[in-house]
Amino acid sequence: MARASIVGAGMTKFGVHEATLPELFAEAALPALDDAGVEAGDIDAFYLGNAMGGQTENDTHLAPTLASHIGIAGVPCQRFEDACATSSNAFKHAVQDVESGLHDVVIVGGVERCTPETGLGTGEMTRIFASASHRQYEQPTGLTFPGVFALLTKRHMFEYGTTPEQLASVAVKNHAHGAHNPRAHFGRDIDVSDVLDSPIIADPFHLMDCCPFSDGASAVIVVSDDIADEFDAPVDVTGVGHGTDIVPLADKPDFPSTMSARRAAEQAYEQAGITADDVDFAEVHDCFTGAEVMASEALGLFEDGEGGPAAADGRTYIDGEMPINPSGGLKAKGHPIGATGTAQLVELVEQLRGDAGDRQIADVETGIAHNLGGDAGTTLVSVLEVRA
Amino acid sequence: MSQLEIPEFLDYASWSEALKDGTLLGQECADCGHQTAAPKAACVRCGSRDISTVELETTGEVYSESTIAVSPIGFDAGFQIAIVQLGEAKTVGRVSDDVEIGDTVTLSDVFEHEGQPSPVFESVEE
Ligand SMILES: [Zn+2]
Repeated sequence: MARASIVGAGMTKFGVHEATLPELFAEAALPALDDAGVEAGDIDAFYLGNAMGGQTENDTHLAPTLASHIGIAGVPCQRFEDACATSSNAFKHAVQDVESGLHDVVIVGGVERCTPETGLGTGEMTRIFASASHRQYEQPTGLTFPGVFALLTKRHMFEYGTTPEQLASVAVKNHAHGAHNPRAHFGRDIDVSDVLDSPIIADPFHLMDCCPFSDGASAVIVVSDDIADEFDAPVDVTGVGHGTDIVPLADKPDFPSTMSARRAAEQAYEQAGITADDVDFAEVHDCFTGAEVMASEALGLFEDGEGGPAAADGRTYIDGEMPINPSGGLKAKGHPIGATGTAQLVELVEQLRGDAGDRQIADVETGIAHNLGGDAGTTLVSVLEVRA
Repeated sequence: MSQLEIPEFLDYASWSEALKDGTLLGQECADCGHQTAAPKAACVRCGSRDISTVELETTGEVYSESTIAVSPIGFDAGFQIAIVQLGEAKTVGRVSDDVEIGDTVTLSDVFEHEGQPSPVFESVEE
């Protein structure tokens, strides 16, 4: 028995949007409702992911505002904030609610604007992103988020011999995938030298090792297992794991293992009754190329230390043995923080329905999403499967 | 550092005051032995409240590092950050010269941003 089913999915193109947060969210939420074939009046609750609206746009108390904008005013609704893992955490609560019988139909989504459309430049946005690091013991050093993942990745390189070329090959692969995704922020073909020749942001990361600042929104409709068969194309949610780790970074016992991801994966696999061997493909949180390498190992898709060579050998392409980020990932699809988690679920749903077009992976039955927040202090792993 | 009063319970105010004065204080857990350079209300490993204030070692090994080329607004660019293993504790800090993982560094200075201090390390010839 599934914990829940996703019966509708929608997302905007990720990129640069002039639309306000409510308008942008509607561009994902209304298509999700239509995809599920549900009316506004059928929605029992709404969980929203938005990480930084208060800082970037002076916009808070967003859940009832967005609910009002999309015609579901009056339902219980709530905004979640867990840095980049924001909307996956909202999703976890929706799954728990329909599983417990509290609600039958819940809409979960995320929306965020991070581009200069907010009126903020790179330095200001870099400061706001750094607010997810420890306010007293990390921020005063000038540490940035590329810097946080650089510190994690440099240690991985030291322990396993992961190379800058292997990191670059993650970006090359995700751009190749993004070229087949009409909703991706970037979709052009690049090669390893394009990455290595781009300016350094925080070594070992070049500009093209880093995901972009994006605007966008995404949404899914979550229903209880008992009513899922009433819908056209349900995709089952069989596991949602939620792991955390120590903040600040320096107090984490071990950097390359990203323990929150290992804890979340263990929970999610156990709930779904699967192992990493049963996973057909994954959407992972590649905010930086090194993050995808560490995620592919933490999820058990590759042995520790093999994530870099696997990427460089092409094993993670759509037609490879373990496709990772068929959507283009955060790197090419884009990363509107609060919208990223549910956007990963949108990709899983489309792949598992066989609706992914040019980027469809053949014969997939089980997909996972890995959505990381902060300095890997939070990770959620979700397992979605073709409905039995 | 000589006449520093070591507080029984280390909070951020006393930690930052000591650091501005050149002393890196931390906490040690009586139950599991964990040391931290980022004071908390309880031990981050085992939850024990039986934690005491200690002066951390000031020389240690670089656990990881990165040079930040694009900085947050209000900071200069092109500075190196390191995670430094000091005995049982690790801390984040700035480094004043170019270091690699495994290098030995020692506390040499304090960097202040808007009144908030961070330790600065420099490499030690071995
Ligand atoms: Zn302890």
